[in-house]
Amino acid sequence: MDLLQILVNGIVLGALYACIAVGFSLVWGVLNVINMLHGSFIILGGYLTFFAWFHLGVDPILALPAVALLLYALGYALQYLFINKVVTSPVLTTLTLTFGLDMILYNLMTVYFTATPRRVTLDMGSADILGVVMPMDRVLGMGLAFFLTGLLYLVMRGSTIGRAIVAVRMDRQAAALMGIRVNNIYAITFGIGALMAGAAGAVFAMVFPVTTNLTGTFLGKAFVICVIGGLGSVPGALVGGIALGVIESFAGFLIGPQHAITLGFVLMLVLLVVKPTGLIGVKGYE
Amino acid sequence: MQQQKSRRLLRSAALALGLFAGLAGAAQAADAIRIGSPLALTGALASEGAKQKLAYDLWLKRINAVGGIQVGDRKLPVELVTYDYQTDGKRAGQLAEKLITDDKVDFLTAPFGSGHTKITAAVAERYGVPIVAVASSEPVHDQGFRFLFGTLAPSSGLIDGMLDVFRKAKPDVKKIAILGRDDVFPKIMASLMAKGAEKAGLSVVYNELYPVGTMDHATAITSMKSAAPDWIYVTGYTADLVLVAKQMSDLGLKAPIVTMITGPAYKEFVDTLGPLAENITSASWWHYSAAYEGDDVFGTTKAFYDEVLAASGQEPDYVHASSAAALITLQKAIEKAGTLDREAVRKALTELDIKTFYGPIKFRADGLNDNRDLPIIQIQGGKPVVLAPAAIASAEMKLN
Repeated sequence: MDLLQILVNGIVLGALYACIAVGFSLVWGVLNVINMLHGSFIILGGYLTFFAWFHLGVDPILALPAVALLLYALGYALQYLFINKVVTSPVLTTLTLTFGLDMILYNLMTVYFTATPRRVTLDMGSADILGVVMPMDRVLGMGLAFFLTGLLYLVMRGSTIGRAIVAVRMDRQAAALMGIRVNNIYAITFGIGALMAGAAGAVFAMVFPVTTNLTGTFLGKAFVICVIGGLGSVPGALVGGIALGVIESFAGFLIGPQHAITLGFVLMLVLLVVKPTGLIGVKGYE
Repeated sequence: MQQQKSRRLLRSAALALGLFAGLAGAAQAADAIRIGSPLALTGALASEGAKQKLAYDLWLKRINAVGGIQVGDRKLPVELVTYDYQTDGKRAGQLAEKLITDDKVDFLTAPFGSGHTKITAAVAERYGVPIVAVASSEPVHDQGFRFLFGTLAPSSGLIDGMLDVFRKAKPDVKKIAILGRDDVFPKIMASLMAKGAEKAGLSVVYNELYPVGTMDHATAITSMKSAAPDWIYVTGYTADLVLVAKQMSDLGLKAPIVTMITGPAYKEFVDTLGPLAENITSASWWHYSAAYEGDDVFGTTKAFYDEVLAASGQEPDYVHASSAAALITLQKAIEKAGTLDREAVRKALTELDIKTFYGPIKFRADGLNDNRDLPIIQIQGGKPVVLAPAAIASAEMKLN
């Protein structure tokens, strides 16, 4: 029974991981920007959700869309005003820029929100199915994670904006010749990345204590998940996230939690050697 | 002509030398005592850093109100030089060095926590500057530092105290599960408990560490659940412990005794967890209900409690108290030495034996405050109550 419980733990955690990674993967895949701000975006989303719940009594699920839209606006503005200026430079330049922006955002949050861990206390209890315990707030988080990644997938496949993003990803020059305003698409993509981060933060605030010193952890997870799953695709982030969640879960059980996180990184290294596109990545975006 | 010129040169050189010596003399006869403190005012330890700073400021106000510290036949006011090291260990080391070489402080206090104490103590040792730590444990004090002193008692005292009290409250306790954070202080508290529990005849049914930055404890909790322990013992910092407590409740892990080091000593822990914090036990180095009297600037535990409450709206915890105690020990050692000479003050610190609002302070050879009866606490009705030592106990222990 333990093994089944471990598997369920892993899948629930993995869905949350996917939610962390999907925005990061999109930005990296389309813009070729390693967005160091991603972890701070998630925490900002988490804090905004917490404050809306704590001070205004807003249900976190209702706060989620508003928080996500706010983050979209922030992401769009940052890309439009700053990152677009250097977006065609080598990846190290954009990395340095987002790193600097992250330091500003991170420290502003630490100063104004303090690093005290905060949590939305829903405490919805647990469901017990055949001896497997499922915490309801995590199940809700998992549902939201699947819903959000699914929604993003549909937007990317079905909408004009989504097709334009994919076109820019495939060939920037050709897309520009077809009349796509590339800089605008970049800003929208970065905005969607931030939106997904904000939504992930709202989901996390219901499940985890949110504190600013988690930003690095989130960023690290997003990185590993992208490499495992494959860059630039929504299904890649989902597969990578669930794979990492399940692997960490079983590793913690079999070899102890001390080395569970290491195993995720080992898997990443192995994949980089044998299958650099990730489990289901597209060739050319490794 | 030539002779005259060289004589003039000699004279001006002598004059310059004299002037220089005069200046140096003036610098030596300091008109204030400067104490340097790298503080974590931002970053992960910002809340501990803020408590440390508050306690320092309260002490500073009181000591300067009486004219400062008696050094020989003079009374010198105290200046505190602080910097924010942003919870970045490397920066703490750099700032300790800057405080010594650039700001020319006479003495240092260490930042909160064992890891950062170790870094700054190594710098202080190199320059021969006495440094008093406010939260440091055995792995810092076994490095052979001569200039490091810490106001906390050894961690092993906490373990023995808990084993005593809990086994009295539940004599049939047999199985303990231990989950510790892989980090300086939480790790030593986990390994000390594993040893202590085995010695006391308990069986350790689960004993694992989790790495810094762990975001999920579901697996560890599932494993502990299968082991069905009577006592669950978890170490870590507030964010970790909140997550563990939450996931324990989610996954239905229960035990008659649940101990978390050092979460329940903090108000934030109870605030964030709400009812989930109920009945969680812990051990602490200080609790305000343990009333002491001393001849320091605060005088009584009550006076310190009132002052912190008035200044911050918060009840003081061990971080506040231990920080104020650090400056009190420096003051007493300077008075005893009668000079600001660092070696003399170091010697005075080794011989110190004082009573303060914080309790008695007397350093062991390794610089830790000599063992004494440390309070064992439990969250009852949303507030920490003291279970032991008997003299200050305010409630009976409740089992889950």
